Amino acid sequence: MADFIQNYGFLLVTLVQQSLLAMSLYYPLMAGQLSLASPGFYAFGGYIAAIMATVDCFAPWRDLLGWLMFPLEWLIAGSASAVLAFLVGLPALRLKGIYLALATIAFVEILRVISLNLEITGGAIGIFGIPQLFESRWGYIWTFGPLLLLMLFFSYRLDRSRVGRAFKAIREDELAADAMGINPTRYKVLSFVIGAVLAGVVGAMSAPFLNTWNARQGTFDASINYLAFVLIGGSRSMWGPLLGAALLASLPEILRPLKDSRLILNGLVLVFASIYLPKGIAGALGRLKRSGK
Amino acid sequence: MAMDAVQFLQNFLNGISIGSVYAIFALGYTLVFSILGIINFAHGAIFTFGAYLTYCMAVGQFGIGGLLAGLQVPFRFSFPLSLLCGAVLSGIAGVLVERLAFRPLRSRGGDPLLALVSSLGVALVAVNVIQYLVGSEIYSFPSDVYGDIKPAFMFHIGSKIVVVRTVQMIIFAVSMLILALLGYLISFTIVGKALRAVAENPSTASLLGINVDRFILYTFFLSGFLGGMAGSLVGTSFGIAGPYFGVTFGLKGLAVIVIGGLGSIPGAVLGGLVIGLAEAFVPADYNAYKEAVAFAFLFAVLLVRPEGLLGRSLTQKV
Amino acid sequence: MKRSALVMLLLSLSVCTASAENVAAPIPVGIAVAQTSNVALFGQEQVAGAKIAETYFNKKGINGTPIHLVFQDTGGDEAGAINAFQNLINKDKVVGIVGPTLSQQAFSADPIANRAKVPVIGPSNTAKGIPQIGEFVGRVSAPVAKVAPNALNQALKQNPKIKKVAVLYAQNDAFSSSETVTFQETVKNMKLEIATLQKFMTTDTDFTTQATSVLAANVDLAIVSGLAADGGNLVKQLRQLGYKGIIIGGNGFNTANLFPVCGKNCDGILVAQAYSPDANNPVNKMFVEEYRRLYKKDPSQFSAQAFTGAQVFVEGLQRVEASSKKKITQMDLATVRTELNKALRKGSFVTPLGEISLDHEGEINQKTFYVSQIKMDTDGKSGKFVIVK
Repeated sequence: MADFIQNYGFLLVTLVQQSLLAMSLYYPLMAGQLSLASPGFYAFGGYIAAIMATVDCFAPWRDLLGWLMFPLEWLIAGSASAVLAFLVGLPALRLKGIYLALATIAFVEILRVISLNLEITGGAIGIFGIPQLFESRWGYIWTFGPLLLLMLFFSYRLDRSRVGRAFKAIREDELAADAMGINPTRYKVLSFVIGAVLAGVVGAMSAPFLNTWNARQGTFDASINYLAFVLIGGSRSMWGPLLGAALLASLPEILRPLKDSRLILNGLVLVFASIYLPKGIAGALGRLKRSGK
Repeated sequence: MAMDAVQFLQNFLNGISIGSVYAIFALGYTLVFSILGIINFAHGAIFTFGAYLTYCMAVGQFGIGGLLAGLQVPFRFSFPLSLLCGAVLSGIAGVLVERLAFRPLRSRGGDPLLALVSSLGVALVAVNVIQYLVGSEIYSFPSDVYGDIKPAFMFHIGSKIVVVRTVQMIIFAVSMLILALLGYLISFTIVGKALRAVAENPSTASLLGINVDRFILYTFFLSGFLGGMAGSLVGTSFGIAGPYFGVTFGLKGLAVIVIGGLGSIPGAVLGGLVIGLAEAFVPADYNAYKEAVAFAFLFAVLLVRPEGLLGRSLTQKV
Repeated sequence: MKRSALVMLLLSLSVCTASAENVAAPIPVGIAVAQTSNVALFGQEQVAGAKIAETYFNKKGINGTPIHLVFQDTGGDEAGAINAFQNLINKDKVVGIVGPTLSQQAFSADPIANRAKVPVIGPSNTAKGIPQIGEFVGRVSAPVAKVAPNALNQALKQNPKIKKVAVLYAQNDAFSSSETVTFQETVKNMKLEIATLQKFMTTDTDFTTQATSVLAANVDLAIVSGLAADGGNLVKQLRQLGYKGIIIGGNGFNTANLFPVCGKNCDGILVAQAYSPDANNPVNKMFVEEYRRLYKKDPSQFSAQAFTGAQVFVEGLQRVEASSKKKITQMDLATVRTELNKALRKGSFVTPLGEISLDHEGEINQKTFYVSQIKMDTDGKSGKFVIVK
């Protein structure tokens, strides 16, 4: 068991982290919004944590708070992401479908280029030497793990709440929902902000996890990965992002023995999964469950 | 910083040069969207594939990486022939992509978003197969690939010069030519009419006796053909910088076709030129932010006029 | 923190049992470079260099015991590097790691190796602060373009009338960003004028704007800090547009991969090198000969540095065996890793890079740097770096 943790600890925590990032895409999707903005907020949150953890002017805070500095970083990252999401979301969420996706892609790219150029973000090298909360990578299961459980519980409650029903109504038919008195803009922005806050907090947690933070953490490729996780896991179920991430994020590592051809196989899996699992893994499992009865 | 007339002219020429590269990439990209309403993320991979194919036929010398390390292809074709063959083979590759990634989804009625993921999977496979076969080295076409012409044209204006590279002018000319030909095809031929019908409404088109599947095939062939040719031409200008060479155009290409107007073929060219010009006029001090120019434009266009410069106005169907 | 730290300590102690076993034979040495992704070009060269080292050193091995290079692909991102390192450390049980390719990956993965007390040698990590990551982190890639002033002197020798200089650099590359600072300082110290400063990215292919700005500034010398694909393209476009002045390329130009990119236009570029295939020492001569035989071209700086990384580990192991009077395979893994790390920082090594040593922080001390001029063949396909005196 100990060997397993030593060998695969990092991978397991990464799977949890990737599930959380997929979930950050799932909330806007619940309200029918295809937002690919998560990597932007992830990078943003990570930078906030990295800067707070390394820059001199925060040193007195670090000395004062000790390990409490980390939760403070998460709090500030989350709040800042909420504000940014509100500012970006309000105008952008008037767009629909692929246009919204493109606007969010543009947002991520702009953020990436800005972070590549500022001094405070360390330019191309980024920020390194980030103080650690835990010595081993597996230790970080104590930050990502509880967050995942919290978000699963949150999704469960959201599904059954008035807000959740409003999201689904908007996803099904925005015009009808509006006619029924549900303010689409308010709920769309809310779903977007929830996703952004989650991504920002995960970013803040990930900065010490990866030891370093740079502009390469928030790219378009990452958005497509998360989209793949959600779609292949199942976009209609709260377990979807988890299942998708568990499979797809571990795939490059599982295929490691294949050396050079592992990415080829990875791509093939993406193709076949999209074709043969149109409702995602969760959807397929749901169908099995129903047909089994 | 005040710009004098010469600088302005130079920046303008630069913008057209840079923009024609985007335009030629975007033409194939937008074709699939204009007929089928989907974004084919594998276009960048086909672009790359076409460049490698043309290189294989025109030069045929490979380096130390990959399965085919040290391969020296025994035959060699002239550049125009290689270009044509490369483009045709890329067209076939485009059809394969359609068969593998898009058609099965269509027939199962899958979420259209899955087409994005699926085409991305294909792109990943294609790029890595290329790397597996020929490694990641840089391959360049010989400098006399277009024959014995000057590498650049210089215009003297008073005591100053304005310069533009010949190959960029060739790319501009070709993109204009393709634009004209595509326009003619779509507007004035029967095939074009059928394509427009399919774009308007596939089920109605099929009711009218149009073999929708066949025309989708034609679209992907054409898109692949254009993509492969674009890749080869851009390869002659910048060299083929590795298997990821075309994939990096994919993201900016997205910005280009949206700004020009999703689905509008002249829009693709206009969008490319507009972005090229915008990037060329960025002052040197802010050169660092040039990358973000296309996306800032994209964001602005989406907020103000999502149908882009030449797209048709989107009406909400109630 | 105190309570959770205690829990963590207990958990990690229970996990530490793995290292009480002996080193396997053949002795595993890890190579963690980017074999896939868009930086695979550099990883490919590093693999080539490392493989030559394996064949060469296994002729004698570590007093008879052969070494075995274990390759784990880091891919292009930070998480991939961590995964590769963890595989090498825990599954493959290597005595040391050569890698990773990028400085950003090093900042991410090296701390992992450091905490596991596994020595790491960076073959191509040139950013500031890498050896300082920890006591188990070192590198054989010289961080500073010590040779910048030499290159400029050579340029002035060719054209004493140089007044205006254009400086261009790849802002997203760790080495280029720090190399350009040295170049710019040297230019200013020589009382020359930086007429234009242009930035680009290693992923750029279109350098129209930068090239036309250089031409408009009417400079006599252009200094480019970038890598083969981008730098080569920049030079090609500069020359095609009519730039006639001298071009100095930084360390990133020190590879035969430059030739296919700019072809005939590469001719005459002065390159500041941390490695030269013409360097006159027996190890380098063997290395270059073998590389030419296998790959039909001269080795690049990346390959030479990877070879050096592997060599340093091999000779370190030999020294450990000599001083401990025990065979490596009879010692336990943890001890070997620690002793190897110490051995790396003592004495010097004669490598293709010349005579080098690592200081107590793991930073490389390299004595020999070169300035070469590229001479292309008439067909524009192949060329050589010719050292200028």
